[in-house]
Amino acid sequence: MNTQRKVNAPVVIIGGGIVGCATAYYLAQAGVQATLLEKSVLGNEASGRNGGGVRQQCRDRRERALAMASVKLWVALRTKLGFDIEYNQGGNIRMATTEQRMDDLRRESEEELQDGLAVEMWDRETLRRRAPYLGEVFIGGKYCATDGTANPLLAPRALGWAAKRLGATIMPRTEALHVQVQAGHVTAVIAKDPTGELVIETPRVIHAGGPWTPQLAQTLGVTVPIVPTRSVVAVTQRLPHLFDEFISSHDLGVYARQAREGHVHVGGAGAEHDDTFDQTTPLGTIEKIARGAAGMIPALRHVNFLRTWAGTIENTPDKVAIMDTVDGIGGYIIAAGFSGHGFCLGPIAGKLLTEWLVEGEASMPLEQFRLTRFQK
Amino acid sequence: MTEPIEIVVVGAGPGGLSAALAAAQAGARVALVDNNRQPGGQYFRQPAREFRGAASPHQRQGADLWQRVQAAGVHWWAETTAWGAAETRVLTLAGNHAPSSIQPPAIILATGTYERTVAFPGWTLPGVMTAGAAQTLLKEQHLLPGKKILLVGTGPLQLVLAAELVRAGAHVVAVLEGAPIFQKGAAHLGSLWGQWERVVEGASSWLTLASHAVPYRTSWGIVAANGNRQVAGATIARLDAAWQPVAGSEEQIACDTICLGYGFIPFTALAQLLGAQMTWQPELGGDVPTRDANLQTSAPGVYAVGDGAGIGGAALAQVEGEIAGIAAAAQLGHHADTAAQKIQALLPRLTRERQFQKMYAALFTPGAGLDTLARDETILCRCEEITQADVRRAIALGANSAGEVKSITRGGMGDCQGRMCSHLLAHAIARETQQTLAQVGRVRPRPPLFPTPIPVLGQVQAARAEESLR
Ligand SMILES: Cc1cc2nc3c(=O)[nH]c(=O)nc-3n(C[C@H](O)[C@H](O)[C@H](O)COP(=O)(O)OP(=O)(O)OC[C@H]3O[C@@H](n4cnc5c(N)ncnc54)[C@H](O)[C@@H]3O)c2cc1C
Ligand SMILES: Cc1cc2nc3c(=O)[nH]c(=O)nc-3n(C[C@H](O)[C@H](O)[C@H](O)COP(=O)(O)OP(=O)(O)OC[C@H]3O[C@@H](n4cnc5c(N)ncnc54)[C@H](O)[C@@H]3O)c2cc1C
Repeated sequence: MNTQRKVNAPVVIIGGGIVGCATAYYLAQAGVQATLLEKSVLGNEASGRNGGGVRQQCRDRRERALAMASVKLWVALRTKLGFDIEYNQGGNIRMATTEQRMDDLRRESEEELQDGLAVEMWDRETLRRRAPYLGEVFIGGKYCATDGTANPLLAPRALGWAAKRLGATIMPRTEALHVQVQAGHVTAVIAKDPTGELVIETPRVIHAGGPWTPQLAQTLGVTVPIVPTRSVVAVTQRLPHLFDEFISSHDLGVYARQAREGHVHVGGAGAEHDDTFDQTTPLGTIEKIARGAAGMIPALRHVNFLRTWAGTIENTPDKVAIMDTVDGIGGYIIAAGFSGHGFCLGPIAGKLLTEWLVEGEASMPLEQFRLTRFQK
Repeated sequence: MTEPIEIVVVGAGPGGLSAALAAAQAGARVALVDNNRQPGGQYFRQPAREFRGAASPHQRQGADLWQRVQAAGVHWWAETTAWGAAETRVLTLAGNHAPSSIQPPAIILATGTYERTVAFPGWTLPGVMTAGAAQTLLKEQHLLPGKKILLVGTGPLQLVLAAELVRAGAHVVAVLEGAPIFQKGAAHLGSLWGQWERVVEGASSWLTLASHAVPYRTSWGIVAANGNRQVAGATIARLDAAWQPVAGSEEQIACDTICLGYGFIPFTALAQLLGAQMTWQPELGGDVPTRDANLQTSAPGVYAVGDGAGIGGAALAQVEGEIAGIAAAAQLGHHADTAAQKIQALLPRLTRERQFQKMYAALFTPGAGLDTLARDETILCRCEEITQADVRRAIALGANSAGEVKSITRGGMGDCQGRMCSHLLAHAIARETQQTLAQVGRVRPRPPLFPTPIPVLGQVQAARAEESLR
């Protein structure tokens, strides 16, 4: 039989989603050539199936600064990857159908302005004027001009390709089976590719496995509270240009963006199918998205949906990410649980992890993202 | 509807009609779904009423079968599209005569095929069309597709179309048969011709072509369609045993229309969504569901018959339909005691038709050379205008599966839902990456299988909210 192949790497990244790819990219820029393991192919999971929203507004306060820093990185990535990732700062509107929702948005806007994020409250008239394509049900909304969208099919992959060009090793169809620890420190990752098993000797592992993170972490005795949650997107036929913003309504349970080629992507906001890796698209959800779409954008009542798909979101109990080391396992870093916000946050996560590894300290505080917050 | 439907048959071609009839005669409550207004499928489809000339024998046979289906009390859900399905044996339907979703104890899929496109330089020029499109123009709108028509492809259906065109007054400049049938199949030809003659106007097609001196060349195929904004001619060439054009044999031929008749691809998306296991069988047209002796797929209660389970012609579709109809009804307790015996009695017919199917496949399965005609600038996915060079670029970036190339290039994401292009893309990837088609993998079908109005999707019965679509 195959003897185990042995290679080594200064850092092994487990997971080729946007978090893993961005980390590989910024590490390579800093001169560290990581080896990235992806059990399927780059960006094949949530990172490539998401709504494409790159948004700072309407976030948990702990994530806001991160999102704002990430948007700066997105702006730079637009020209730096050598590949058009269709990033567009077209703005973001969160709409309301009730006064109570308007009050919530107003309160949020005050906090956001305090934190330095420029947002505007729009009353009904402003909404009609600025977004005439929206349905009559909305009585107003909150707008953030620097928010935007990018193409999820391209952005995570383009980060991975750029990392590879800079010298990183990208290994698709390679699953990390186990992290080897000796004397309290990581020594290797055991992995499996289509030709057999291999050992990657390394002193450092970044575990960015999205919703699959808990299973592997558990083999190290580490409990990571991430629950997989199904989320569905439907896409229309190609349409003439209708809107630039990423729009969403929790009251209707849908969000949407129009992709550059003209297709409108409509996703279901507020996932209801918790704790499943199932990626079939539930009939009831398609129905809900179709109704929400027609209510949100009346012009879609005369349009066909072409396709639907589902992806797996990675929710933590407080819906905020985990970026942390683990006591007693030196060299092991978890970066997962972005709870449905990770597309926007991927670049900043990669950047901060790189600083942490290369300089010993990240340029932004990471205390808020400790795993230990769930152990109390 | 008072009593619930027990068996839903999707597709009202020869396979579906026979299945519905057999199941209903056994006592099952059957609904027959088809997206067309008229039953009949590819084969029995009734011509428009004003079409000149008398009904052909197979049309009369179809009308007779349809009468018996009605007499047996089958519910006819015309103009209804099954746009989705789930592994829980749920079908979702769009149409005015049917519920929006249904979860019957058994489903018989008889969904037929779609035409196989071929990518060569110039194939997207106006004037290039599939044989089926030409046939529809001729039969339903009484229009000739052009004045000087070249037919390229394989199989006896080409001859039928050629004869129809000639009779309607077109100038058919040549019929090119890709297969080396005269070298390869002299032994087969007798029985093949016999079979074919039985069902189409075979012999008379020959005579028509002969009397109009239409050249018929075997082991010849198209290399390129030429012209600026419209087809003005074609480059054709002799083919080797692998259907690869032989260098130096090229000829130019003037024409304004090119009809592609390179066969069919089974439409298996519903079977896949229902959870049926698939197997790659090029001689049956590509990916087909695996089936047991009763034609049940690996998904319990889901049967597949006819061309949609492997190209085999109308007669095979009918006998398969009968078997699945009897078996599905028996599974639900209708005449379960006599079913095995009835199926046994059909086996000689099944064996005969399967032999014919094998022979047909041996003669007319295109060789690998057909998939090498595209050039860098040739479009593979028409809806999204993706060229072979785009595919090559995606591969250079590290993509080597159908799914990745689709994600990176958008190839296969257009309105045709991949029906025109996914095989072209898969072949290109396989060739570029030196993998087999199985390694390249297939792109998962995603509901809705056909572009479906948003208001229709908003009316799926909420009662089935837990049911999942793949
Ligand atoms: C439908 C949908 C819509 C969304 N919309 C948005 C949005 O608009 N904006 C936004 O910011 N976010 C959105 N999100 C969330 C966002 O997509 C995720 O938060 C983000 O992609 C997480 O990235 P990740 O790299 O952590 O995880 P993932 O993308 O899940 O990647 C993890 C990768 O790790 C691999 N892996 C796991 N374990 C192993 C192992 N042992 N060995 C090898 N490989 C392994 C997996 O195969 C996977 O590719 C959405 C998500 C979904 C599903
Ligand atoms: C011009 C022509 C001539 C032919 N001549 C001969 C011949 O001489 N001899 C011979 O043996 N064969 C011949 N064939 C082939 C023959 O027509 C087919 O083998 C036969 O029709 C297969 O029957 P079927 O029931 O499997 O599928 P089909 O006849 O193709 O019927 C499938 C039906 O299902 C419907 N359908 C598919 N999916 C859905 C869905 N999701 N929802 C609703 N409805 C759906 C389709 O619209 C179609 O009506 C010919 C074909 C053509 C096109």
